[in-house]
Amino acid sequence: MSETIQPPAACVTKSDAYPGTGDEPLVLLELIQRLKVRDVMTSKLATVPRTATMRQVQELMRQMKISGVPVEENGRFFGLVSVDDIIRALGGGYIGDPCSRHMTTKLVVLEDDMPLSFALRYFDRYHYGRFPVLNRDRRLVGILCQRDINRALLVELTRELNRLEGTSAQNAALTGAVSIYVLREFPICKYDFENAGKAANQIKQVLQEKKFPPKVIRRIAVAAYELEINLCVHSDGGVLSWQVSNGRAEIVARDAGPGIEDVEWACRDGTSTANEWIRSLGFGAGMGLANVKRVSDEFEITSKKGSGTTVKSVINIGNMP
Amino acid sequence: MTMIEVAEVLKAEVLVKGEGFHKAVCHVVASDLMSDVLLVDEDDMLLLTSLASDQVLRTAQIVGAVGVVVVNGKPLPSSMVNVANDLNMTLATSRFSKYDACVAIHAALNPR
Repeated sequence: MSETIQPPAACVTKSDAYPGTGDEPLVLLELIQRLKVRDVMTSKLATVPRTATMRQVQELMRQMKISGVPVEENGRFFGLVSVDDIIRALGGGYIGDPCSRHMTTKLVVLEDDMPLSFALRYFDRYHYGRFPVLNRDRRLVGILCQRDINRALLVELTRELNRLEGTSAQNAALTGAVSIYVLREFPICKYDFENAGKAANQIKQVLQEKKFPPKVIRRIAVAAYELEINLCVHSDGGVLSWQVSNGRAEIVARDAGPGIEDVEWACRDGTSTANEWIRSLGFGAGMGLANVKRVSDEFEITSKKGSGTTVKSVINIGNMP
Repeated sequence: MTMIEVAEVLKAEVLVKGEGFHKAVCHVVASDLMSDVLLVDEDDMLLLTSLASDQVLRTAQIVGAVGVVVVNGKPLPSSMVNVANDLNMTLATSRFSKYDACVAIHAALNPR
């Protein structure tokens, strides 16, 4: 038993993002990037104070049918007693000792606002059955195990399926069923440069497969790419959606903050609030929204400082192939 | 001029031979600002940049570039080769500066 809790770095590196196996359905990859640890973890916890004996912990495990019990007092997290610890206590003859003497304190913990994709990587890397979850104030707020993830993904996948079916039916009713070609949404995370641009690349590939005219594909791809990068660079995260219907392509970037103070100024060529880091990555030249406007037949932006921004680009594509 | 000839002129090391490797380069864009690259409405362009990031390749794919040459001998992150393979994008690296690369390509296209 060692004496320190080892939380992960406050800022997790991009290499910690779950890379996937390459075979997962796209909707699943989107879900694990969109969901946070707090959305999935078990937050109703059975905990014990440091004074509880190992036997009391064993009894709690039996009653609750759980294999790990956090040791916690007033939200402060001290360690974890696992089944292994109990087995060692039985074998070593110290099952009556206070758990604080034998609990595991060298722990890897997750933060509640981490994306689920990071948590999956931690399961891969550390092979632990569960991870305690702390909030920004370093208080214990939950436990995450593989079963929580399976359950949450099943619920979310069902919800996503219902939503897609509903949207599809709604659009079919409006447009006569044959004109919807594509309807997709991509969650975009703040500063996720590892993935930024993937959505636009996928949109372009779909359009190429459907043999849209190259000039049209280029305009749609540029609009989608600029909006995707904008979400990544300037928003707290959002959703890029696009659909092709009734002879037009519509790309919408929607986020929940932080909003734009002066929309007119933001749409001018060369104006940007991007910092030096963003510029060093090749972005933030202040051409993004202006570029979207340039390639769009219709362009709308609504924003308010302190709340979200929605940008819509419509590109007429004439008769669809 | 194809990417094969571009690589010879720039003494470039070709890391990924993508879809555009045998295509003719019709236009050359030299920039480190990706929004500037997106502004160029030309087909079959070659992108010269000193920016070594995955986004360069994604930008090149969006504009339908035939390839990307990272100049100044910049070390590339290992992910770039993977992304180039995924996008089927030709990727090369050259020790030439961006300016010298432009001059060399121009001279090769316009022999005296």
